[in-house]
Amino acid sequence: MNFAPRYLGRGSWLARRDPRVLVLSVACFVLTAIQVWDLRLLAGFVVIAFLYYRSARIPFRAVRFQWTFAIAFVSFVVFSNVIFASGRVQRMPDDAVQHVYMYLPLFGTPISAESVTFAVTQWVRFMAMIAVGLPLAFALDPEVLGVTFARLGVPYRFAFAIDLTWRFVPSFLADFHNTVDAQRVRGLELSTGGRGPIARVRRQVPILVPTVVNAIAGAEDTIDAMDLRSFGTVKRTWFRELRFDRTDRLVLAGFFALLIASTVAAWTSGAALLWVPPFMIPGG
Amino acid sequence: MTAATMNRSSLWSVDSRTIVYSAIGAALYGVLVNVVKIPLPGSTVDVRPAFALVPFFGFAFGPVVGLFTGLVGNMIGDQISGWGLLTSYNWSIANGAVGLIAGLAPLFLASWLNRGLSMRAVAGAVAGAIGVVIGLLITFTDIIKDAQDVSTSTTYYTQAVIGDLVATIILVPILVYAWEPVKERLGR
Repeated sequence: MNFAPRYLGRGSWLARRDPRVLVLSVACFVLTAIQVWDLRLLAGFVVIAFLYYRSARIPFRAVRFQWTFAIAFVSFVVFSNVIFASGRVQRMPDDAVQHVYMYLPLFGTPISAESVTFAVTQWVRFMAMIAVGLPLAFALDPEVLGVTFARLGVPYRFAFAIDLTWRFVPSFLADFHNTVDAQRVRGLELSTGGRGPIARVRRQVPILVPTVVNAIAGAEDTIDAMDLRSFGTVKRTWFRELRFDRTDRLVLAGFFALLIASTVAAWTSGAALLWVPPFMIPGG
Repeated sequence: MTAATMNRSSLWSVDSRTIVYSAIGAALYGVLVNVVKIPLPGSTVDVRPAFALVPFFGFAFGPVVGLFTGLVGNMIGDQISGWGLLTSYNWSIANGAVGLIAGLAPLFLASWLNRGLSMRAVAGAVAGAIGVVIGLLITFTDIIKDAQDVSTSTTYYTQAVIGDLVATIILVPILVYAWEPVKERLGR
C-alpha cells in the first residue's frame, strides 16, 4: 500500500492556482461546514466541494485507497456517534420532539427520524470536508510547500520544517519497509507470538526502534548542512515568488463569502439547527 | 540538547536542530501512524504504536519539537490517509499538546532526569502519560465542532487515552533506552 503523497494533480486547473489558495480554501470551507446543520445547505456545499475536487483532476485509481478509507472511517464514526449518544440528538430546535422508528437490538438505542438525519448530516459534512481537503495532498506542488506557509504568516523556521517534513515522508516510508524486510530476513515474525494488544505492541519494537533511531542519527548531515549555510541567523528568502492572479482572488473571495454567509446564517437563521426532511417524519 | 540537560530558556529555543528533529518526528509519525494499528479488544479504538513518537520526541528534544511532531505529524497522517488535513484539526492540536507537555518534563520531573538511564526512561513514560491524559482533553472541543454529545466525547476520549497510554508506557522507555547511547556516541 502506497501512503506516500504524490503530485497527481500536476497541470490541473487547481494545481495552477497559487498554492496559498489551496490551503486557505480548505480552512475557509472547514470553518463554513462546521457551522451548518441544515442538510439542504450542506447539499449545496457538497456540490461546491466536489466541483473543487474535480478541478484537481486527481485520477481516481491513484486515490482509491484514500476514498475507501475515508468512506469507511466516516461511516464508522457516524455509526459510533449514534450508538454512544444513546438516542440524544444535538442541534435540535428547542421545541422539537423525536419521532422514534425502532430501538437498536442489543444497545437499546432509539433510532428516530432526527437521529438518522443527524447521522446523515454528519456523514455528508465530513465527506464534503474530505473532498475539499484531498487536493492539498495531491495537487499542491511539494516544491513550494515551504514558501506557501511562510507567505501565509507561519514563521519561516517552521515553514521550512513543514517543507522538510513533507520531503522526509517518502524516504522514511522506504526506510520503514527496508527495516521490515531486514528484520524478516533475520527471522522476525510479526504475525506470531502473543495475541494480546500489549504483546502485539511489543512485537513492533524491532521495527520501530531502528527506524526511529536511524532517522534521528541520520539527521546530523541535514543539521550540519543547515548550520554551514547559517540557517536561522538572518531571515530566509525563498527561490519561488508567489503572486495571486485574478482567478486566485476570485476563488478566495468565493470561499470567504461562503464563510461569512454561513456564519451570518448560523447566527440569524436556523442554519445551525438540524433540519429533518418532512418525508422522514412518520405521518409528516 | 536532551530533556536531562535543558534549562528553562533552552526549552523554547528554535535552532536548526529543533527544526530538523521536528520535521523528522512529524514525518515519522505521519508515515507510521497509518501503517500499524492494533485493535483493543472490546472497544472501537486501535492502539497506534507510532503514537509513542509524539511523547518521545517531546521528551527527548523539547516541547517545541513535541508540539510540532504531534500537530503536524497528525495532520500529515490524516492528509495521507484521505481523512484531510483539517477535518479533525482539534485532534491534531490535542496530539501537539501531548508532545508539548511531555517536553516540559524538565520542569516537573527534574529530579528524575538527573538520575540514571533507567530513571530517565521511566520519566519519559510518566511525562508521556501525563501528556496523554491532559493533552487529549482538547478533543472535548468536538462537543462544539461536531455537536457531539458529552457522553460520546467522553467515550472517545477514554478510548483514545487507553490506546495511547498503552503505546506510550510500553514504547517510550524503550525508545529512550535505544536513543541515549546513540546520542552519547554522536556526542550530543
